[in-house]
Amino acid sequence: MTTLGTIAGVAGEGRRAHQTPGIPSNIATVARREMREAMRSRWFLLYSLAFAALGLSLSFVSAAAAGGMGLAGFGRTTAGLVNLVLLVVPLMGLTAGAGSIAGDRERGMLTYLLSQPVSRTEVLLGKYLGLAGALVACITLGLGACAAIMAWKGDATRPGSLVWLGGLSLALAMGMLSVGMLLSVLARKASVAVGTAVFLWLVLVFATDLALMAGAIAMKLRIEELFSLALLNPLQVFKMWSLHAADASLDVLGPAGLYATEEYGRWLHAIFGGCLAAWIVLPLTAAAVVFARRSPV
Amino acid sequence: MITIRNVTKRFGRTAAVNDVSLAVGDGDAVALWGTNGAGKTTLIRCVLGLLRFRGSIDVGGVDVARHGKRARALIGYVPQELGFYDDLGVAEAIGFFGRLKGLRALGVGGVLEGVGLVGAERKRIRELSGGMKQRLALAVALLGDPPVLVLDEVTASLDACGRDEFVSLLSRLAAGGRSLLFASHRVEEVTALARRVVLLERGVMTGEVPARDLVPHLGLQATLHLRIAAASRERAARLLREGGFEPENNGVGLLVSVPTTQKAAPFRILAEGRIAVDDFDLHAHGEQAHEPEARP
Amino acid sequence: MRGHLAILAALAWARVGLGQGPNDMSAPAARASAAQTDVNTGVIGSRIRSASAGDTIRVPAGVYREHLRIDKPLTLIGEPGAVLDGGGRGDIVEVAAPDVTLSGFVIRNTGIDLDHENAGVRVMAPRARIENNTLDDTLFGIDLRDASDSVVRGNRVGGKDLDVARRGDGIRLWRSDRTLVEGNTIHDGRDAVLWYSKGITVRGNTAERCRYGFHLMYSDEVTLEDNEVVENSVGIYLMYSTGIEVRRNRMIRNRGPSGYGLGLKETDRFVVENNLFVGNRAGIYLDGSPFSPRIPGVFARNTIAYNDVGAVFLPAVRGNRFTLNNFVDNIEQVAVLGRGSLAGNEFWVGETGNFWTDYQGYDQNRDGVGDFVHESFTLFENLVDRHPKLRLLLFSPAQQAIEFVGRAIPAVRPEPKFIDEVPLVRPVPVDAGRPAQRPDRAGLSLVALAMGGGGLALVFVARPRGMARRRRNNGGAA
Repeated sequence: MTTLGTIAGVAGEGRRAHQTPGIPSNIATVARREMREAMRSRWFLLYSLAFAALGLSLSFVSAAAAGGMGLAGFGRTTAGLVNLVLLVVPLMGLTAGAGSIAGDRERGMLTYLLSQPVSRTEVLLGKYLGLAGALVACITLGLGACAAIMAWKGDATRPGSLVWLGGLSLALAMGMLSVGMLLSVLARKASVAVGTAVFLWLVLVFATDLALMAGAIAMKLRIEELFSLALLNPLQVFKMWSLHAADASLDVLGPAGLYATEEYGRWLHAIFGGCLAAWIVLPLTAAAVVFARRSPV
Repeated sequence: MITIRNVTKRFGRTAAVNDVSLAVGDGDAVALWGTNGAGKTTLIRCVLGLLRFRGSIDVGGVDVARHGKRARALIGYVPQELGFYDDLGVAEAIGFFGRLKGLRALGVGGVLEGVGLVGAERKRIRELSGGMKQRLALAVALLGDPPVLVLDEVTASLDACGRDEFVSLLSRLAAGGRSLLFASHRVEEVTALARRVVLLERGVMTGEVPARDLVPHLGLQATLHLRIAAASRERAARLLREGGFEPENNGVGLLVSVPTTQKAAPFRILAEGRIAVDDFDLHAHGEQAHEPEARP
Repeated sequence: MRGHLAILAALAWARVGLGQGPNDMSAPAARASAAQTDVNTGVIGSRIRSASAGDTIRVPAGVYREHLRIDKPLTLIGEPGAVLDGGGRGDIVEVAAPDVTLSGFVIRNTGIDLDHENAGVRVMAPRARIENNTLDDTLFGIDLRDASDSVVRGNRVGGKDLDVARRGDGIRLWRSDRTLVEGNTIHDGRDAVLWYSKGITVRGNTAERCRYGFHLMYSDEVTLEDNEVVENSVGIYLMYSTGIEVRRNRMIRNRGPSGYGLGLKETDRFVVENNLFVGNRAGIYLDGSPFSPRIPGVFARNTIAYNDVGAVFLPAVRGNRFTLNNFVDNIEQVAVLGRGSLAGNEFWVGETGNFWTDYQGYDQNRDGVGDFVHESFTLFENLVDRHPKLRLLLFSPAQQAIEFVGRAIPAVRPEPKFIDEVPLVRPVPVDAGRPAQRPDRAGLSLVALAMGGGGLALVFVARPRGMARRRRNNGGAA
């Protein structure tokens, strides 16, 4: 009888609190849970270490190349980091997203979670934000370590461009995470989702650019067409935006870059921002719609 | 408290639940009775708003299909097996689900004491035995004192001993004015917890009996004890399973529960599979023949 | 025809906005200073009128709204705080007699009449000394015409806040031989142009945010040394000149549409040594130079780093000799435009080559020279040289994929652009001074702290929450 009393006591207290359940608090609860889970997982550790290690070696190498001349870096370290981010961050975002919902479904966790007083949108957003938090931590820690090395080695990279790079990397990660989540709600099995994510990564990182090159040569694309097509690839958008932000000029990218600068000028920030925002919002919205309609079982 | 009206749920062409209507009143306790595949779990998932279905279900006056979250706030749910992050600590899990249910400050110790899990706070879910996991799931379900408790084959993954303990725990805690809807195919659970039993067969509601009448009612079921050579026993079991039966290998042959009107069906299946039946017995005590350890 | 088009395309992006060539730098306007009626009407003017040759006039602090014409050999010294204000009209000081010294003034606010080329200081006679003045808001800054043997030293010249096309030159020399331009700072102007002037020395000046840092036109035997040329459209441009020495200059981040650190057009007998070319669109740009390849163009001990292209050659350029230079991480180390070839230029002489950061070999015998020849080829560069628009895909992983294919499969490997048979494996010390742009250690540390702190904060938020809670609850339950 005492046990019953205890439960009832707890329960009574709970019921009062129950009158004010906030949607945001549910999202936050799921998000924190997901972030904690992500940070405990092996992929997080692996990606963080890989990202930091590559970034650090890059910082060291560029410091070594011209350090003796007192002009280490001069923006070139940032360019190297752009390249690194292009390779690693999309893979992180895509696979983390892809594994999330599909993985829970496969382990039977999803039905249990959805049997609680939460809505599916809350679960999806919570998971998104949680994973996003983990990715943010991973990226900022990695880049922060690089910045520390650069400060120590006297790299001439401007802090501002590094901040831009960090911010844009996060935006890219969010976009790829969004796409990953969409794959995750679409796929029946986690392995399928993650496999598709890796495939998509290859497509975004290599295939689309190579196809764009081949297309540009074979179909004699005009530079404005080439630029517009490049905008479709979030990785290219990230790259162009990083260069634009660091240099305030895209003409390092040749005629097409020059065209972009002259044609759009100050609107470039808005254009690139719009593209990346679309990659964040649209897949996530689609994921939410699919997730709300599909059976979670 | 729960009103289910003409609920149909199809997976592809098969109807897992077919036009089921039932009501669970305040403080009522209703068991969903049937074999695996009868549609119990599907119906429960519909009640939880996990599946989209035809018809309507409301819980405490809240339409599940349209306001799933609000409906679920009234339900404590215990699954067949707790599926959640294995690495999660018990206290963390309580905290997590408590927050989802809108509870801020929780006395985790008290909650665990109520389900007999004292001292398990520091354990991870992975380290819990099956019985302890179910206790934890029950504790989670009772957080926030929901007026409705929904249980889905909660003892299915427990051994006989754990099952008895858990049922007695349930019968103590589930009381107190709560409405109870649960799926089971175990007589002792039903008699201990339910007032009424709704019989489901292949998605269709075939009847409703008071819990105390279940055993006599089950007399309609018979258990065939088929002696089959060990070599072909596995194949026989498979064929019978494909035929919709649930054979159980007891070491000398197969036990098959059949409706009394279909006692010849297993023989026909085995004959078609060219499997010889050496001998057979017929028991008219239904489910209980499956579970000698639960025999009174 | 197609080849021609390719060259045009390649040039298109490099050429846009490259000034209007020498045409817009026509001879100084034939102006009549007499048109300026209110000359020498003020306080200083009257002292000039009453002074005799060889006198020194000291001008105390104060703002003088006057226009001066110094028509006898005088020394005018502005004491600290002496300001000559042109009131936005005409020239401010005209030096019409030889051997005039003008020193220590703040000279500001000329007219904006490009036809009359309104100038802060206009010198029309030889042997002037224009020293330690600060010119601000002037259309033309210091304009020397037929003023040989003059000294322009320690002045600070700022232009008008106008569209570049409507600005004047910060410093201009016209037929002023043997003039010394030293220690001046020119900022936000159009150009510092040196026309038809022999034997001049340009030393230790700074030019920032101008159109052309220093621009030589038809000027022979010129020495440019120890100048810092930062963030102009073009750093130093040598045109139609002969006998030029360029030493210890720092050309940094000149990134206008042409954006050369150092450009040479039809220039002969030049030596480029110990310079620093960093972060320009093109470090070195060679167009028809040397003009007569009998005398090689010499590039030695320069550091050419982090430019979009280290050195750009127009198709027919030959006769340049690069030794002991450091080519450091230029996006493209050496480029030849169109279908040209680098065959007529040398990247190693005898036992001396250059240091290349993209050298793939090693130095097992530790003699400082790589054991393998440095052959410059990259498949992506090759592709981009032929299809310039593909530069858009620079810095993407696809670029590396293509480079990798180029290295791995000899069949698709392009012909090397050039060869350095004795590449250095360590950078050569270069005596060019230190660039003004210092690493921002404080800023980078701050970024490191902010990012690291942010990341750690997130990890902290995600720490197992149960710990604290559990302990508290244990206490409560007991």
